Amino acid sequence: MSGGPSLDAIRPCLEGAVPAAIATCDAAGTPNVTLVSQVHYVDPSHVALSFQFFNKTRENILANPQATVFLLHPQTSARYRLALLYRRTETEGPLFESMKAKLAGIASHTGMSGVFRLLGADVYQVLDIEHVVGEEVPPAQEAPCHIAGLSRLSQRLAGCTELASLFEQCLDGLAGFFAMPQAMILLLDPTGQKLYTVASHGYAQSGVGSEFPVGRGIIGVAAQFRTPIRIAHMASEYAYSRAIHEHLAETGVGDRLETEIAFPGLAEPHSQLSVPILAAGRLLGVLHVEHAEPHRFGYDEEDCLMGLASLLGASILALQQAADIPLEEGEGAPAPTPLLGVPLAVRYYPANSSVFLGEDYLIKGVAGAIFWRLLSLHVEEQRSEFSNRELRVDPALKLPELDDNLEARLILLQRRLAERSRDIILEKSGRGRLRLLLKRPVLLQEVAAR
Amino acid sequence: MVQNFYLFQFGPDLMGSTTLSDEQVRFIESGVSISAASRDVRRVPSVSKVVACRVAADRRQVTILVDAAQAGQLLQDVAGSGSMAVVFCLPSSHRTLQLKGHDARQVPLADGDAELAERHRTAFADDLLPLGYALPFALATHGFQAERLRALSFTLSDLFEQTPGPNAGMRLEPEA
Repeated sequence: MSGGPSLDAIRPCLEGAVPAAIATCDAAGTPNVTLVSQVHYVDPSHVALSFQFFNKTRENILANPQATVFLLHPQTSARYRLALLYRRTETEGPLFESMKAKLAGIASHTGMSGVFRLLGADVYQVLDIEHVVGEEVPPAQEAPCHIAGLSRLSQRLAGCTELASLFEQCLDGLAGFFAMPQAMILLLDPTGQKLYTVASHGYAQSGVGSEFPVGRGIIGVAAQFRTPIRIAHMASEYAYSRAIHEHLAETGVGDRLETEIAFPGLAEPHSQLSVPILAAGRLLGVLHVEHAEPHRFGYDEEDCLMGLASLLGASILALQQAADIPLEEGEGAPAPTPLLGVPLAVRYYPANSSVFLGEDYLIKGVAGAIFWRLLSLHVEEQRSEFSNRELRVDPALKLPELDDNLEARLILLQRRLAERSRDIILEKSGRGRLRLLLKRPVLLQEVAAR
Repeated sequence: MVQNFYLFQFGPDLMGSTTLSDEQVRFIESGVSISAASRDVRRVPSVSKVVACRVAADRRQVTILVDAAQAGQLLQDVAGSGSMAVVFCLPSSHRTLQLKGHDARQVPLADGDAELAERHRTAFADDLLPLGYALPFALATHGFQAERLRALSFTLSDLFEQTPGPNAGMRLEPEA
């Protein structure tokens, strides 16, 4: 490219806030000009335009790949002219999904849901960017300096010695440094089919333990394609409840999601951003933020969250390894003091490893099985202290030897207990250690079939 | 927010001419956003913002005004090819029309063209403000310097209605 501004420097023009004009020309030499709602940033030298209908622009670029786009900066009115060369069309994959979600938001905002349907992402090489002279106004507000916030938050994360505080610091930091008070962290279930909420911030109900299907909704698509997905306006196609209901309607009972625990998202999130948490080449989960107002998250916020998610991923891996330290000899067997009072009936259904405290549902799945095992050891062997390591190798639990999720499951279990019970407390007693505290006696009932 | 909807082409009538209806004239002379395109000898397209438009009494001769400092390549390409396409869109309704001509050329400014551009600038801002944009921004998008105004005129040859609607995606352009 020549000496004009870089594409990175003009990304606010690529948010779709102001339509762009695109000029093309057919083989006979007749120009065509039309308006486009979405000129999407792909990388420092490529943009993509949404291909929705076979129209004159499309016909022209297939015959003559040269296009010229006129952009306006949505705050300053700065004008930019882009010389483009059509290179290819992508009909699936991360870029396609990212544009599809964004388009759904634009369509919903403009009353065009059902009219806009993405057929492809037309990728153009940016050959030149010209800053066109003309009247400009100062931006109404200076862009926040996210890199400073990211630096401060990364220091806090580096100081965390366990997963639970890592998640808490991350979500607190998003609220404090980035003005993103509604956020959640979901981790990938070992089946790879669903994500479970392990921490959240800014909701009346934490929703910890709730599950979300991979491949659906903004969160599930970000997970499936390992790419950030961002929507600037409420789009019903990407509503959380819709994703969950569609998944339930299509899958068998055996693969059901956790539905007893409600998903924590806002009822009407007008801005949403999901980024994958990746580490060591694997998907660990999704970091999701949302806001009640539209257009809260732009390219800068997306980049910032991608950076944060990378830190989070590396830290999760590091802390999971650190958590696996065995108990010392003689540790783990302090005799609990006898408890008085009416026993709490705890029912366990091995069919799906679900646990009920009295009549109240607590949890199911791996976390349910772990809880039952802890309670059983507590009652049978009068133990209160346990190590992650012993749970991992416990033949009664049959956990995969390399289950990265054990620590996260324990956090989930602790959080659910804290929210649902005053009588049973599960707490950390050191790195890789757990302590189970009972305030009243329990009566364990295993129910063979449900 | 308008994107490539259906095309209704209004081709030449029996007399071999395409004319605008009174309503279409009122529309393209109102506070619409206007962009014009041409191309060079190698078919490389050029595009620029337009600051005003006026239509002759015959409803076929269309004149647009551009700021020469912003539209250098467009002016050059129109002089070289005579081809021009102009798109008009009203932000509040998404209604969109595209006009084309093959005999485009630069013409002298008419009396009152600077005032016309100033009125158009205000009319565009009036349409944009209810959508949540700030006035300085709305006015800046149509900023121009009177001494740099140039007029480009063409005879309407093709007219496309490109407004979004239930027939989006249908291409109703007849074979020429």
